[in-house]
Amino acid sequence: MQLDFQTRELLVKLVYYGPALSGKTTNLQALHALVADDARGRLMTLETRDDRTLFFDLLPLTFRSGNLQVRIKLFTVPGQVIHNATRRLVLQGADGVAFIADSQRSETKANTAAFVDLKQNLADNGLDIKKMPVVIQFNKRDLIDIRSDREIDQLSQQGREPVFKAIAMQGVGVLETFMGLFELTWRKLEREHGLHDKFDIESEKLFSDIRARLSVVRSGSTIPGPPR
Amino acid sequence: MIHADVKHLSDIVDREALGEVCRSFFGLFGLPIRIFAADDSLLADVHVEREVCRYANTLKGGRDGCTSTVAQVRKLAPASDTLLHTCFTGAVYRVVPIVYDGATLGRFVLGPYLPSEVREVPRSLLVVDSGIDPERARKALEEMPRVRAETVERIVTHLRGVLDLILFSGHKSFLTSEMHVLSERESFRELSEKNTELERAYDRLKEIDKLKSNFLATVSHELRTPLTSIIGYSEMLAAGIAGSLTTEQSEFVQTIRSKGDLLLKLITSLLDISRLEQGTLRLEYERVDVLPLFEEIIETVRPASARKKLTIALDVPTDGIPEFRLDPLRLRQIISNLLDNAIKFSHEGGTVILGARDVELSRDPFPDLDSDDSGLVLLAAPHRALEIQVRDEGIGIPVAAQERIFDAFYQVDGSSTREHGGTGLGLAIVRRLVEAHGGTIRVLSEVGKGTSFYVVLPEGELSL
Repeated sequence: MQLDFQTRELLVKLVYYGPALSGKTTNLQALHALVADDARGRLMTLETRDDRTLFFDLLPLTFRSGNLQVRIKLFTVPGQVIHNATRRLVLQGADGVAFIADSQRSETKANTAAFVDLKQNLADNGLDIKKMPVVIQFNKRDLIDIRSDREIDQLSQQGREPVFKAIAMQGVGVLETFMGLFELTWRKLEREHGLHDKFDIESEKLFSDIRARLSVVRSGSTIPGPPR
Repeated sequence: MIHADVKHLSDIVDREALGEVCRSFFGLFGLPIRIFAADDSLLADVHVEREVCRYANTLKGGRDGCTSTVAQVRKLAPASDTLLHTCFTGAVYRVVPIVYDGATLGRFVLGPYLPSEVREVPRSLLVVDSGIDPERARKALEEMPRVRAETVERIVTHLRGVLDLILFSGHKSFLTSEMHVLSERESFRELSEKNTELERAYDRLKEIDKLKSNFLATVSHELRTPLTSIIGYSEMLAAGIAGSLTTEQSEFVQTIRSKGDLLLKLITSLLDISRLEQGTLRLEYERVDVLPLFEEIIETVRPASARKKLTIALDVPTDGIPEFRLDPLRLRQIISNLLDNAIKFSHEGGTVILGARDVELSRDPFPDLDSDDSGLVLLAAPHRALEIQVRDEGIGIPVAAQERIFDAFYQVDGSSTREHGGTGLGLAIVRRLVEAHGGTIRVLSEVGKGTSFYVVLPEGELSL
C-alpha cells in the first residue's frame, strides 16, 4: 500500500493467484468489462515476445469517495510451475490475495499445490499468510464433475478465508470476489494505518461508492474468452 | 517491487518521439503545443511566434503583458479539469491535464489560438501600450489561427487518446523491461543459492573421499607391519634356521610365503592409490637410461611369461633411445603393471611386445583455454616425451569397458578376477602415475584380437 496525504490518494495492490488455467486472467477480463469507464484503465497483459512466457496481467482501477482517491492495481500471476520467480516478484508488496481455484475434481491437487506455493512465496517475501487478507474463489462452477456446493460450503465454514463461487467466463461471482477481497484488505489497512482518522472516510460509504461504479451494463458488451 | 505505478512521464515516454508527435500535430492542426510533466519540466514544445506577439513584443507594455501571460499559463496545473487562460490579445491557452491510471502525470498546453467568436480587436490589446497602432494590431491579429470551440474539443479528445495510447505502450514496455531485469536477478539469486549448495555438497564429498583414502592408507600400513613379520618368519623357516623341514613342510612354508608376497603387493598397491588420490605422491626425477631398465623389467616378468610360453619382444628404434628425465621407480611400476596385464590376458604361446620411442610434443601452454590452433606455432613450445607401447594378442577389452578400466577396483568381467587374479587396482595406479607425470594414456583394443596401451610421458622439467 502507498499513501499520499498531499494528493489524498491510496494505492492498493491486489494479486490474483492460483494454478495454471484456473481463470485468473478471465476474472480480470470480466471485471474490466463490468467496471464503469471512468474507473478502469486498460487491461495490460505482459508477455515476452520470444518465449511467450506470461509475466502477469494488470488491471488498474480508480475510485473516488469523498475527497479520497483509491487506486487499485489488480495483478495476476502466471500459474505454470516454472514461473515461480515471477510469482514471487509479483507477490512482493501485495496487500491482499484472491486465490482462484478450479472447481473440477481433477484439479484438486493442482489447487492444493498452488496454495502451498502461495504460502511459501509469501513466506519468502517475509509475509505471513495468516496476516494476509485472502479470499478463495471456486471458479468454473458450470463445468461437470466439479466439487459439490455442499462440500465447498462445509469446508468454507471450517476455513478462515471467505469463499466465493464463480463462473468467470460469464462474469458470475467476479464482482463478489473482488469486493470481498477489497473489503477484507481495506479493513486490515484501516486497522493498521488508521485510515478512517487520517482521511476521514467511512468504510461503508467507500464500499458503496465503489459498488456504484461496478456492475455497469453495457449494450452489446461481451466478456472475452479465456486466456491461452 | 512491482507496483506498476508511473511516477514520472519521462519514465515511460521518449522525449524525442514525443517531440515528433507534437511537430506532426502542429503540422496538421496549426495549433502550438507544449507538454509538461507533473514536476513542471518541459518535455515538448512546438510553436511559432505569431505576428501579433512579435508586434506586441516591440512595445514595452506588450512585452510585460506577454511575460506575465506566459508565467501565468505555466503556473496552471489542473488535476482533472481543463483550464482556459485568455491573453490580452484575445488569444486563448487551453491547459489539459494528462491523466493516466487515475494519476495526473502532467499537462499539455494548446495555444495561443483565437476563438472564432472573437470578431473584434479586444480592448485589452489596444490599451496594452500607449504607443500601439490599432490598425497594425488588427492586421497582426488576423494572422492568428482561429478555431471553433467544438473543433478544439474534438482535437483535445483526439490528442488525449493518442497520448493515452503512447503512455499505455510506454508503460507496458517499461514494466516488461523492469520485469525482465527483476526476473533475471531473481533467477541469478536462485542459481547462486543452488551453486552454494552444490559447492557445499561437493566439499562434503571431497572430505568423505579424503577420509576414505586416509582410512585405506592407515589400514594398509597397519596390515603391512604384521605381514612383513609373517613373510620374514616363513623365509627363516624355509631357510632352515629353525631346523630342517620335511619336503611337505617346506612346500607349505613356500605357499605361506608366496601368498604373503601377493598380499603385500596388494597392500602396497592400495597404499599407492590412496597416496596418488591424495596427491601426496612425490616424483623423484632423474636421468634414466630407458633400454636397460626395460630389459630388467622383462627379466622380472620372465617366470610368469614362461609359464604361458609367451614371447616378450622389445620394439625400439635401431639407434636406441636417449636418456630421459623421469621417475625410474614409477616408470618401472607403470611398465610392470601393463606387462603383468598383457601376460595375464594373453593366450598361451602368444607374443607380448614392449615398445618405446622418443617423440616431440607440442605442449599447449594454456590447456584450460579452448584450443582452436590459432597462434599455436607461437604459443606451443616443443617438448620431448617418451612413448611406451605394450601390445598383446590376448582376449581384448570391449569398447564399452575401455573408459572404465582405469577406475579403481573395476574389472571388465567380475569372473576374470577368479580366472586371472588381480585386484582391479593395476590400471588405476598406472593412469594416476601417468597423470602425475603430466602424461597421457590411451588404449586400443578389439575383443579377441588383443590390446595395445600407449603411454606418453613428457620429460620432467629441469629443476632450476
